[in-house]
Amino acid sequence: MTREERFQLEVADVFKSYERDRRPFAVLDGVSIRVREGEFVTLLGPSGSGKSTLFRIVGGIELPDLGRVSIGGREATGTPGLISYMPQQASLFPWMTVTDNIASALEIAGVRREEARRTAREWLERIGLAAVAREYPGVLSGGMQQRISFLRALLMPRDLMCLDEPFAALDALTRTEMQGWLLRMWEAERRSVLFVTHSIEEALTLSDRIYVLSKAPARVLREIEVPFGRPRRSDVWTEPAFTELKREILDLLGKGDAHAV
Amino acid sequence: MANKAAWRRVWPPSAAFVVFVALWQAACDFGRVDPWILPAPSAIALRMKEDAGLLAGHLGATLQLALSGVAIGLAAGVAVAILLHLMPFVRSALSPFVIASQNVPLIALGPLLMIWFGFGLTPKLILLTLVCFFPVAWSMLAGLGRAEPHLREYLAMIGASRRDMLLRLELPASLPYLFAGLKITVTYSVTSAIVAEWLGASRGIGYYLVLKFKGYDTSAVFGAVLCIVALCLALYGLASLLEQGVVRRRLRTRPVKAGWRK
Repeated sequence: MTREERFQLEVADVFKSYERDRRPFAVLDGVSIRVREGEFVTLLGPSGSGKSTLFRIVGGIELPDLGRVSIGGREATGTPGLISYMPQQASLFPWMTVTDNIASALEIAGVRREEARRTAREWLERIGLAAVAREYPGVLSGGMQQRISFLRALLMPRDLMCLDEPFAALDALTRTEMQGWLLRMWEAERRSVLFVTHSIEEALTLSDRIYVLSKAPARVLREIEVPFGRPRRSDVWTEPAFTELKREILDLLGKGDAHAV
Repeated sequence: MANKAAWRRVWPPSAAFVVFVALWQAACDFGRVDPWILPAPSAIALRMKEDAGLLAGHLGATLQLALSGVAIGLAAGVAVAILLHLMPFVRSALSPFVIASQNVPLIALGPLLMIWFGFGLTPKLILLTLVCFFPVAWSMLAGLGRAEPHLREYLAMIGASRRDMLLRLELPASLPYLFAGLKITVTYSVTSAIVAEWLGASRGIGYYLVLKFKGYDTSAVFGAVLCIVALCLALYGLASLLEQGVVRRRLRTRPVKAGWRK
């Protein structure tokens, strides 16, 4: 990491605790992470490790007790509206068509209505989803809804995409298929991404860099540069280095020794 | 298929109705009930036919009054719901009083309004508005607060303004609640219109009802009741149709055409 590099996201020494049963309960214990421009960075940690809290702080809708956030080189602690977001549930609006769902989000980000609709239509066509442009989300499969949700996040004119366990609710087959799809989409666009998951395979398959978080209160246990090149094959899990890294991470998370496959 | 299902739903209550009317008719024919206590269905039908023109005129007046009340009540209800939703303090300060106001009996409120506003249309419209706005306002207020939490979270995360939150999430999400309230309101509106006319009017089914009561013209009273029930059902049906047009349409399910895969 050289000094003159520009970071799209910098989270510096963030502490956060809540009150639980009248006693302070630490969630984030001095977490620092960085995302370079065009980099795919993953936060990997056990469930309940404060990843979502960290996300809400990055999104500016929650304030850290200590520490600060900057996005695109500017102070952004507690400032919403600087990121685009893909949540765990697709969170599409059931009364809007697919096109309108995407256009509506773009309008919130300040895009003019006609342009937002045109962009949505063009992109749906470009990535082969034109057939569902006029459908309502209710008739779409889970994987399909997540594609739309990802496209919606991708098209927002924002410098940082935050993806919060977007495939956690999908079945294993769909999940693998979606990872391949996301890989292709992202490699074509190369946006700065902060991705959250608790799946080690998912983290290794998709990311450039991984921060391994501990259980709550969350600290960064290790920062891992993923050694696999780009464009990345979605069957990268067949490489020996993959299995080794996976074992390493499992050890870190204290679930080691067991058969790490 | 759809027709068959509809028929299966419709015929049991229809049969029950026919049996009920037949029993009623038989009881009057063979039981020697005085017609001013319980007129036979045939007598009611005849009476309605005689007064058809008159009834139609009065029914029209009542319908007009009821619909005016629904229109004003709907507008006021939506406005109040949005206002109280946006201002939680005002909501907690006023809602006990608004709820209490709904317990003031119409037959007490009506005469008071007439003392204050005279015998014209104004007191009647005020009465109807007070009755009609409440189901709409309260039902919609509940709906505005009940938008999906994960959609709320999504909008917050992408930095949506309060206005975006209202227009893009809360209002559309509250529409089913609004229509639930509207369906109650339309039936309330007819009964309150009758009460308003009963208290003082020169036309409308309520006025007709008072007149016939005073003359012990029981069959005409039954005729009027029949008209009122029909009017209520018609308005309820209309509101349901409107609901289907606006709310259900957007949630319809259609099979997706294949061919989106690359």
